[in-house]
Amino acid sequence: MTRAIVLEGPLSAREKRAARREVRRQEDAIGQVPLRLYGLKKGTVNFITVLCALFAMFTIAPIVWILINSTKNQANIFQSFGFWFARPFELFHNFGNLFQDVEGDGIYTQWLANTAIYAVLGGVGSTILSTLAGYGFARFSFRGVKATFALVISALLVPITAISLPLYLVYAKIGLINSLWGMVLPSLVSPVGVYLMRTFIRGSVPRELLDAARIDGAGEIKIFFRVVLPLIVPGMMTVLLISVVGVWNNFFLPLIIFTKENLYPLTVGIANWANRAVSGGDANVFPLILMGCVVTIIPLIVLFIVLQRYWKSGMLFGSITG
Amino acid sequence: MSGTMTPAAPPAPRAARIGSRLVRSDVPFQKGHTNFVRRRDRRGAWFVAPFLVVFFLFLVIPLGYAIYESLYTSKLVGGTSFSGFANYSTTLHSGPFWAGFLRVCIFAAIQIPVMLAISFFFATMFDLGVARFGRFWRTVFFIPFAVPSVVGTVMWAFLLDPAAGPFTKLVHDLGFHNSNFFSSSLIVPTIILIAIWEWTGYNMMILYTALRAVPREVVEAAVMDGASLSRIVLRVKLPLVRPAMVMLVFLNVIGALQLFTEPLLLSNFQPQAISDAFTPTFYIYNTGIGGGQYDLAAAAAVILAVLIIIISVASLLFRRGQGDRAQ
Repeated sequence: MTRAIVLEGPLSAREKRAARREVRRQEDAIGQVPLRLYGLKKGTVNFITVLCALFAMFTIAPIVWILINSTKNQANIFQSFGFWFARPFELFHNFGNLFQDVEGDGIYTQWLANTAIYAVLGGVGSTILSTLAGYGFARFSFRGVKATFALVISALLVPITAISLPLYLVYAKIGLINSLWGMVLPSLVSPVGVYLMRTFIRGSVPRELLDAARIDGAGEIKIFFRVVLPLIVPGMMTVLLISVVGVWNNFFLPLIIFTKENLYPLTVGIANWANRAVSGGDANVFPLILMGCVVTIIPLIVLFIVLQRYWKSGMLFGSITG
Repeated sequence: MSGTMTPAAPPAPRAARIGSRLVRSDVPFQKGHTNFVRRRDRRGAWFVAPFLVVFFLFLVIPLGYAIYESLYTSKLVGGTSFSGFANYSTTLHSGPFWAGFLRVCIFAAIQIPVMLAISFFFATMFDLGVARFGRFWRTVFFIPFAVPSVVGTVMWAFLLDPAAGPFTKLVHDLGFHNSNFFSSSLIVPTIILIAIWEWTGYNMMILYTALRAVPREVVEAAVMDGASLSRIVLRVKLPLVRPAMVMLVFLNVIGALQLFTEPLLLSNFQPQAISDAFTPTFYIYNTGIGGGQYDLAAAAAVILAVLIIIISVASLLFRRGQGDRAQ
């Protein structure tokens, strides 16, 4: 116990100092080389800023459009000006409708719940597996470690289609069509996650530290939980973010393995609605589609804002490039 | 005398033991050390094992099964029989499959360079600090990454709708009458536009991070030597972020060649512009899930995987070769 404190104490302080230094370094680096040294005119700065604003308009236009139009009724979506509000203001009406009554059974609520379950189980599970595997690949040299890692990375080359269709064929044989596990278990396989965690652990968990803990008599499991884990939480958060988004946005796999509507995630459900709405028949389904899209993207945008520092610091995006 | 000597004797071996294990590198130390290391490294395999189990069950085995399945043909009458490479031959001789493949190649050849150029431009500007409110723009540009491609495509489908889309009206008012973004001639550019919207922010973020990692001294030295801004960007920074660029080309090529979601969603809005084999993935989906010819679809999936592997490895080797020559 005492030993653990002695081990953690000075380290976490050093870590904190290093983190603070890193933040300061990045803040300083904002104005890296003073701009006047490049001989830039003020006009150039203004021009570039205008270009940024234009591209930002392009980026944000569809989102602004959908937010505005989720407050309209069906007729106004098509007839009124797309980038401004129109009476009647139907936001709450549309929002309420979304959750209770499309075919009288509130199927959207089911899709939202499904997506959340798939994303949480798949995201958390793949983060755990990627972390363990990344640690194994980064800090041990058991027999075949290089070949195994190369095999895992080469899976990045295999297109999702070429994995999803085979999965469907296997599922058809073993009865995993229309099963929660049929969706969650493949989501646990994240070669990118393994690669990121391996890179991150190589950069943030010194071998000497592990050796010191071993000399102090700590077992491998204890070392992992008490020494390694606290150092790699930022990396894990980024992998979690990436894998939750990956499952939340996954379309092809759920499209082919689910034939029952009540198992759909949001992406497949919305695509289904869009299909039905356009091919006619369903009246007043367009406001629901738009509202459904808004509710689909809001959790993710919130997640991105909450976890901003993990992707904004570029911590792991940088290591993708390593 | 012996009474005082005896207690003194035991500490010596103990000190030697500790020394041999931990400090001195004599023979017993090395022997003990390698055993220790080997035992510990074998334990390391246990950390990798859970991932590998799922990896094999849900990736390697299904792929193997698909290859197996692709070698058989099942008929309604007469059951399943081994047919060798018949399914491969059918796919390789299928006009629509190759037309779809050509289409995604054209798509990739336009979309990826345009997107990477925009990404690199903005990443450079943010890195140099040329643009005002750089942090704010970076966040805005990144937002589409959080939007599922299904939702992104639905939004763009409404915006570009031939009858009521605000952008269609805008283009109409600008003097381009009868412009239909979903017509057969404009459908590929439309999908390129959507893909650029979806992925530019993500690519920019990676390039920006890579540019940040370029040591300040390098840029300072170039400034001192009187290099112009464009020279610093193209001759100093770009070569230093080449690995990131190569990785992005690689990932984007793999993604572009399996284009599926956008055309599928758009085909709801304009079925006549998007055929059953619009992209290879479309072909696989419609043959397998839609048409029930699973063996044929499996063969097509294997062919697509092989094509993607060939193209991405070739582009990697080509890039690497170029890099070597440059040095």
